[in-house]
Amino acid sequence: MTEAAPERSLDAGEPPVEHRSRLRTTYETIRQNRLAVIGAFFLLVLAVVAVFADLIAPYTINEVNIADRLAAPSLDYLFGTDDLGRDVFSRVIIASRVSLQVGFISVGLAVAIGVPIGLVAGYYGKLTDSILMRAMDVLFSFPAILLAIAILAALGSGITNAMIAIGIVYTPIFARITRGSVLSVKESVFVRAARSLGASDARIIRTHILPNVLAPIIVQTSLSLAFAILAEAALSFLGLGVQPPAPAWGRMLNDAQGFLGSAPWMAIFPGLAILLTVMAFNFLGDGLRDALDPQQRSVIESRGVSK
Amino acid sequence: MRTRPMWRTLVLLLTLAMIVAACDSGESVDVEDSDTTTTAPPGSDTTSPGATETTTEQTTPEDDEMVLIAAQGAEPDRLDPHLTSAYASFQVLENVYDTLVQPGPDLQMEPALAESWEISDDNLTWTFTLRDGVTFHNGRDFTAEDVVYSYNRIMDPDVAAANAFRFASIEEVVAVDDRTVEINLSRPTPNLLVNIGAFKGMAIVPQEIVDDGSIDSAPVGTGPFRFVSQSPDQGIVLEANPDYWRADEGLPHLDGIRFVQIPDATVKLTNLQTGEVHWIDGVPPQDLESLEGDSDVVIQRVPGGDYHYFALNQAREPFDNPDVRRAIAMAIDRDVITEAAQFGAATPNQTAIPASNFWATDYAPFTPGDTEGAAALLEEAGVSDLTIEFMVSSEFPETVTQAQVIASQLAEIGVTVEISDVDFGTWLDRQGQGDFDAFMLSWVGNIDPDDFYYAQHHTDGTFNFQGYSNPEVDALLDDARVETDQDARKALYDEAARLIVDDASYTFLYNPENVQAWSPQVEGYEVRGDNAIRFVDTQLAG
Amino acid sequence: MTGFVIRRIGQMAIALFGVSIVVFALIHFVPGDPVRIALGTRFDPEIYEALRERAGLNDPILIQYGNWLLAAIQGDLGVSFRSGQPVTGIVLQRLPATMTLAGAALVIALAVSLPLGILSAIRSGSKLDYLATTASQVGVSVPDFWAGIMYILVFSLTLSWLPPSGYTQLSNDPLGWLSHLVLPAFTVGLISGSILFRFVRSAVLEALNQDYVRTARAKGLSQMRVIRDHVLPNAWIPIVTVVGLQLGFLLGGVVVVELIFAWPGLGRLALLAVEDRDFTVLQGTVLYIAFIFLLINLIVDIIYGWLDPRIRYD
Repeated sequence: MTEAAPERSLDAGEPPVEHRSRLRTTYETIRQNRLAVIGAFFLLVLAVVAVFADLIAPYTINEVNIADRLAAPSLDYLFGTDDLGRDVFSRVIIASRVSLQVGFISVGLAVAIGVPIGLVAGYYGKLTDSILMRAMDVLFSFPAILLAIAILAALGSGITNAMIAIGIVYTPIFARITRGSVLSVKESVFVRAARSLGASDARIIRTHILPNVLAPIIVQTSLSLAFAILAEAALSFLGLGVQPPAPAWGRMLNDAQGFLGSAPWMAIFPGLAILLTVMAFNFLGDGLRDALDPQQRSVIESRGVSK
Repeated sequence: MRTRPMWRTLVLLLTLAMIVAACDSGESVDVEDSDTTTTAPPGSDTTSPGATETTTEQTTPEDDEMVLIAAQGAEPDRLDPHLTSAYASFQVLENVYDTLVQPGPDLQMEPALAESWEISDDNLTWTFTLRDGVTFHNGRDFTAEDVVYSYNRIMDPDVAAANAFRFASIEEVVAVDDRTVEINLSRPTPNLLVNIGAFKGMAIVPQEIVDDGSIDSAPVGTGPFRFVSQSPDQGIVLEANPDYWRADEGLPHLDGIRFVQIPDATVKLTNLQTGEVHWIDGVPPQDLESLEGDSDVVIQRVPGGDYHYFALNQAREPFDNPDVRRAIAMAIDRDVITEAAQFGAATPNQTAIPASNFWATDYAPFTPGDTEGAAALLEEAGVSDLTIEFMVSSEFPETVTQAQVIASQLAEIGVTVEISDVDFGTWLDRQGQGDFDAFMLSWVGNIDPDDFYYAQHHTDGTFNFQGYSNPEVDALLDDARVETDQDARKALYDEAARLIVDDASYTFLYNPENVQAWSPQVEGYEVRGDNAIRFVDTQLAG
Repeated sequence: MTGFVIRRIGQMAIALFGVSIVVFALIHFVPGDPVRIALGTRFDPEIYEALRERAGLNDPILIQYGNWLLAAIQGDLGVSFRSGQPVTGIVLQRLPATMTLAGAALVIALAVSLPLGILSAIRSGSKLDYLATTASQVGVSVPDFWAGIMYILVFSLTLSWLPPSGYTQLSNDPLGWLSHLVLPAFTVGLISGSILFRFVRSAVLEALNQDYVRTARAKGLSQMRVIRDHVLPNAWIPIVTVVGLQLGFLLGGVVVVELIFAWPGLGRLALLAVEDRDFTVLQGTVLYIAFIFLLINLIVDIIYGWLDPRIRYD
């Protein structure tokens, strides 16, 4: 949308030549890295939990047990039970699989479609660029969650379709970021040199352009993971994602709404799980950005989808 | 180095924020007097000498003391009584329109716009005598021509009224004189009164509001309240009709009603507790227990005529085998399902009609949770590793809950239930295409058994999507349709009901209670068995 | 400049055209149709067919789209399948609620992010910076609908301070208007504010590190003066961009929050239109949202150029 404006670096990291500056920079870096380390560690633990969820979960997750319904958190039920007497702790743990799976696959899809579009549009320019980027504009000018909802309504609910819908919604962001980066390296000396030596377009894109635009893409990928998880939660909150009785954090929040007054734990714990996971991805993404790509604009463009 | 006056940037930033604010205030003003707020046409009252002034100003009757604020859980889709099929619309229209006859407190049909009626010896001609001195809200007198016009509109295939099927046996409607209407039938129709009066979908409307297209936005009826306005934030505003045909009894008591829409059930209840609304159209069953003894809330629970059920697709194997369907009906435990979904605010039932109803059939062949019997029956049928896709919709959250309980129960006999929670549009589409293993839903608003048995279980029934066909049942339902002796008719339905349960055409689960709640200020209101919302006798104590 | 604006308006028109095609195609891929939904369980095949015919749903898809487009170009967005009311009226009725929520959320977001962001950058590394940065991390990570539910739990159900949902018009009941607005506005505003905070902080930090700021400091100008005259004017430029983008998202993107708070805005309207397969209403709503979104982007770009004359529109 703001392509007429030059890409501006919003970098916070460039150290000022000032007497206290080195200390401050070091402090900043350590803090940033520490958060990134915390994020990475949390995600590692989460991944282990997701893989071994069946072993960790103290209860079977789908068996209905009316006698113990809406029990408050206790030693028997760490996070309490839901309206059908199912253990919320076990369901929160098992549901981590869905979130991670949807996050990775949908963002992977967006990268796989968006990056080539951005490469081609940026490299060839002119009409190709116009057509591809106008198409991306169309997708981008939708309220993201509405687009995902409409796609899901057309394809039908379910985890696979949710991944496709979120992937499509994120495609324009990757296309734009890639295109912007391509534009900045296209006219560089080495690309012109390669061209004058008669290298094919495909070869130039592969060996000269792509490696030079990877950094912002990697950063955007890790930040998008956070927002893809938010998007999945929103969609399953609306009943469009994973089908019951399989647990998903968003779906559990939806179920919790009718019991907010009598069983608030049904709403608190799945929400905390989403918050912590998304925060971990954000920490990691920020750390990666500081290391790889000081341009910070990506985060806003991706935030919209969770709304 | 650039320096730039800071005010300039600040101004810009604020401008951006104010684009929004400006648009907002601009639109708010527009809404007041543009046609986006559907207000009763100012001219509609000029023909009425006795009418009070029109309330097209933004002063809603709320300024008065006796305005009841009623919270509905859903938004009315349209206000044309012949075209809508939304319960939320009928909650409002119940108080605006009249029918010739209407269900009394015991759901027996009683006079309304018609004072009396006679049936010819061959049962093919019904003659209605209309009430005298009834006027529409626009001041015009109500006559027999209005009945003829309304019924012809419902039967007009081009209008495609949702309730046209109820008029299937009507050949002709004739205005004999201003006060007399004759209905000629093609076959005896013992339930004609129900067909023309069960609810306001068969309301008498004045032709002029159809002709000028205002029927959807500004309904004009003969009922106790007349329509004032509708807007997203005010909801639907009604005011007392001073010329109501029961005005000499002092009715209606209220000065007006404001219907507001609050989709979330918990929020709706909170609004009642905090006094923002006087009446709500439902209480989440899980909150009933905690509300007992709450002096701020009056709750009334009445056995309702609705029923919850699921149906298996008999066009698909192995559900074409009645034994398989029966096995599934045996394996489930209705007590648990009812407790899980309705927290006890419902009565388990293996048939459709609740015991309190005249048409109820006392029949319960299945032992709750008979997993052994069910497993044996499945084995006999040679079915193993059965997977059933259960189609439900979050639009009716209790169906999602029930499906999870049923999945858990059927797992005990080795049957896997895969739940598909789809939006209701998709649900209806897949039901229509026959693209399902099983679907679950509830059926609402039942007075006469013909309303639902024929549509759902007759081979030619319009709602027989499960593909049930039993010649014996067909014959019984055909006979019951035209049987004018009430006891003989009930015997026919009893026999059909048993066959339907035995064949598990539908597997019935329970009848939910009709639960409504109101503030102790509200007096003279009763929850009805048919869930019609009538505020004609209601008062608000100071 | 004029050429740029004209070209951008042309691009907007193309994007809106594309949006209308996508909406149309999507809604026709979705199973189910508005007539079937309106009939619900009172289904009758004959009535169903008659209603479909009358609604024009039996026409070939391209004809349906062509008819809609021809009317739309003349400003007629058609009537709702569900209610029979004109779409333009339905959308305009919902617009004030959406504008109110977006405007209030933006005010909250700015009120939080500007002072905190500037202070955090100036005192980078301080306790305040640490706290604010951490809070903003929570803010950008929290699911908006969960935040909304938690607010309802705390402020409505537990403390009974505020109504849990609903909407009142300002002109009818100012106090009610405000009390209904608080929770949804904070739900959205604090999240937006967290995003803005991060940008304000980085932008100010970047400006602080510019040569001319160091020069100004070296000249012995006071801290206040350096910040007022040299830092902030340069930091505004990226901030304006981000604020514009945020506003665009707020106007169309708070669907789930509108749902939770029963806020009668465009997002909820669009969601219900998808559920009802009310194609004309969905088309109208999405076009309005997209139009406002694109318009704000255009305005932001123009402001951007005005603020920073180095930018050429070509």
